[in-house]
Amino acid sequence: MTDSVVSVEKLKAFVHSQYYDEEKWALNSKLLRAVGLFAGSIFLMRNYGDLMAI
Amino acid sequence: MAAALNVPLTTSTTTVTTIPQMTKGEEKVDYLNLPCPIPYEEIHREALMSLKPELFEGMRFDFTKGLNQKFSLSHSVFMGPMEIPSQSSETIKIPAAHYEFGANFIDPKLMLFGRIMTDGRLNARVKCDLTENLSLKANSQLTNEPHMSHGMVSFDYKGKDYRTQFQLGNGALFGANYIQSVTPHLSFGGEVFWAGQHRKSGIGYAARYNTDKMVATGQVASTGLVALSYVQKVSEKVSLASDFMYNYMSKDVTASFGYDYILRQCRLRGKIDSNGCAAAFLEERLNMGLNFILSAELDHRKKDYKFGFGLTVGE
Repeated sequence: MTDSVVSVEKLKAFVHSQYYDEEKWALNSKLLRAVGLFAGSIFLMRNYGDLMAI
Repeated sequence: MAAALNVPLTTSTTTVTTIPQMTKGEEKVDYLNLPCPIPYEEIHREALMSLKPELFEGMRFDFTKGLNQKFSLSHSVFMGPMEIPSQSSETIKIPAAHYEFGANFIDPKLMLFGRIMTDGRLNARVKCDLTENLSLKANSQLTNEPHMSHGMVSFDYKGKDYRTQFQLGNGALFGANYIQSVTPHLSFGGEVFWAGQHRKSGIGYAARYNTDKMVATGQVASTGLVALSYVQKVSEKVSLASDFMYNYMSKDVTASFGYDYILRQCRLRGKIDSNGCAAAFLEERLNMGLNFILSAELDHRKKDYKFGFGLTVGE
């Protein structure tokens, strides 16, 4: 139980450092946008791709 | 009382022969007879074809004249702004016009391409099949400016279920890559390179999984590149593609999603980027050997809008 509490704190510290640092957030937001577009487009292609067929 | 139907039930005994059912999924994979994989440098081929058309800005006219079955000449005229790389984020464009003369020799075993421009730049490419499995490729770009010319030679060997390539370039550039089919659908590959002039070396790995309906590829390199792509073949005429590129050295990340419609009279490709850039490219077949081209690229972030049109005559 103690182990998981420690790792949750480390996780929170990591997320804080990535989110509140301006430079890192500039890159992270681009990364999140790109990953979201890539993963979302794969999901749409696999499930609704047939709608684009002619 | 209704008379019960007295239908004698004759049970006929028929011998039923059971046919062993072989479903597609139960086919045993013959690991000694795997297909030959595609070349390592073409691993993202489908995604590149759909997502990276030759976008241009300005006017383009290409004329190809075949003199005989193997030999043809080409004339290209281009007029429009040319982008020059700048340090700042603003794009610097200079209006330019140039003419390019080209000659092509195409034989089943030997292909030669040469292009020369009015500004003195020469491009040459050779592809020669030395034996059934070994081929030689060479390409070079020669310019007037000192230290800007370069050339590269590569030897490609095609094995039963693998391919290997060895490259030599100027500036002490050495490279080698190898790709192997692991299952009928999956292939893995790796590459190494050493650039003597810049004292840099690198290693990379790639994987490709393809079926009739889709192709998924992934590539990582020690230069900091991570490239993933996925192409879905929706039908014979339509493909949808998506790619993701991340360079953790230069902190650059781009994802794009696009479509590719290959119809009888035209080919239409379009894509949208995670950097706010939308592009489209249309090639319309007006007549036999006459193609009309339209290109558009809208970069909303940099407020840079590029439109181009052109005509291609000949095959």
